[in-house]
Amino acid sequence: MNAAFLVEDLYYTYPASKTQALKGITFDVREGEVFGLLGPSGAGKSTTQKIMFKLLEDYTGSIRYFGRDLKTLGTSYFEEIGVGFEVPVHFTKLTALENMRFFIQFYKKTADVQELMERVGLWEYRDMKVGEFSKGMKVRLNFVRAMLNDPRVLFLDEVTNGLDPKNAMIIKEMIAEFRDRGGTVFLTTHLMNDVEQLCGRIAFCVEGKIHEIATPRELKLRYGKREVKVEYREDGATAQAVFPLADIGTNEDFQSILRTKQIETIHSGETSLEEIFIIMTGVDLK
Amino acid sequence: MRSCWMLFRGELRRLVSYKILPVSLATTCLWIVLVLLVHKADALTIAPLLIFIDTTVMLILLIGAFNHLEKQEETIKTMLVLPISIKDILISKVTASMVLGFISVAVMSLALGIIHGITFNYAAMLGFVFLIGAAHAGIGFFLALHSKDFGSMLGLLFSYMFLFTVPSVLFTFGVIGKEFEWPLMLLPSHSSSTLISTAVSGSYDAAKVIVACIYLALLAAVLLRFAVFPKFKDDAVRR
Repeated sequence: MNAAFLVEDLYYTYPASKTQALKGITFDVREGEVFGLLGPSGAGKSTTQKIMFKLLEDYTGSIRYFGRDLKTLGTSYFEEIGVGFEVPVHFTKLTALENMRFFIQFYKKTADVQELMERVGLWEYRDMKVGEFSKGMKVRLNFVRAMLNDPRVLFLDEVTNGLDPKNAMIIKEMIAEFRDRGGTVFLTTHLMNDVEQLCGRIAFCVEGKIHEIATPRELKLRYGKREVKVEYREDGATAQAVFPLADIGTNEDFQSILRTKQIETIHSGETSLEEIFIIMTGVDLK
Repeated sequence: MRSCWMLFRGELRRLVSYKILPVSLATTCLWIVLVLLVHKADALTIAPLLIFIDTTVMLILLIGAFNHLEKQEETIKTMLVLPISIKDILISKVTASMVLGFISVAVMSLALGIIHGITFNYAAMLGFVFLIGAAHAGIGFFLALHSKDFGSMLGLLFSYMFLFTVPSVLFTFGVIGKEFEWPLMLLPSHSSSTLISTAVSGSYDAAKVIVACIYLALLAAVLLRFAVFPKFKDDAVRR
């Protein structure tokens, strides 16, 4: 797989700040994958994104976009990327459709606005002023805005934050379809559910540094509790027992419970990504 | 160029949707009522002052209001990831705000003509308003980018008026003597006032007109290029 982005030794300090926001970040984002950058507030996620879509420029280190130095790319770069900001970024006194028509006219390659808005359930509200939209509707419109130019790379910041489960699922389906068509997604979030459902690989970012880059499965295998928890009926009540996953097939106590008791539930003990994040970094994601 | 045009049209549309243009026109209508109530000689005296207010202080105020509305909506951020340059965005904003000045001067000129039969050199006025508008758009954006919210922008505007506009008005009413006119030309307000008075009265001092034109053109160029342009992106990204 080609590297959509190759980020090496990235440092950034905000002009008014004495401390570095990014302290030597290195990672790659492969073409056609959903890459998740996870971390608590102030970890450097948004700064990394802003550098990658050229809002911040005075960084040190190197960023290559499909082999080309990001610093050498002009406005044509924005023909290829779509950016979904965390906060709504619309003209509130204009209607949803007026907003989308305003932005889409600047792109050479465009997506079907109606199709996108129908998909996220906003087409029937197209003539409503964005100022009258709920937070969830604005978040969905943000996503449509990011997809207007049928981008090659999509940057998404907390893309489902503020959405109800049904609409969050629709957005996640659209992201998965985008990836399946060969699109690359760079996702920053603190919502582990999104990460587990979407990301091929994830990077844990804390205090401007990346602690680990791996697939969610690799992390779970590496840091997860390797155990099996069984709940069963005993003396009219629910009892439970936990067994190590290793040698579970020859564990006599486990086998005995299976043979003699009425089993209510049986689960492998999986550690959540959030727990793994805390184990690895000592920092809570919130 | 095509991007600039599309941005400009967008700006104009938003000036209407966000009620900036209607507010500007409402102010001009107030001036028209004032003109209606006075005699022709008085109208001729106050017309330059009213045009001056519309193309300087009102312009700065409206640019500040519009800019802070956009700051609240964070729309600049999403415009910065469009395949257009920041220069295009800024040019379209400055040009659109200058349109406010042109419209109010056009309406005022029409009213003065209809009500009192006052006509003047419209071509000269057009050129002067272009320079005055550009310089004051630069000042408006400068103040807006250096203020946290609209309230602090108003504070800066009042300070600006106290330092730069009040002396010019005092000169107009004879409180400040004629011997101070050349030093006063260093104030954008006084240069603007000189040009507007020239266009309305038809009598002019060539040296002062040339100095005022060059000064306002330079001020607009320097402010927009070196004070507004570099701060524009920073301001949007910081939020």
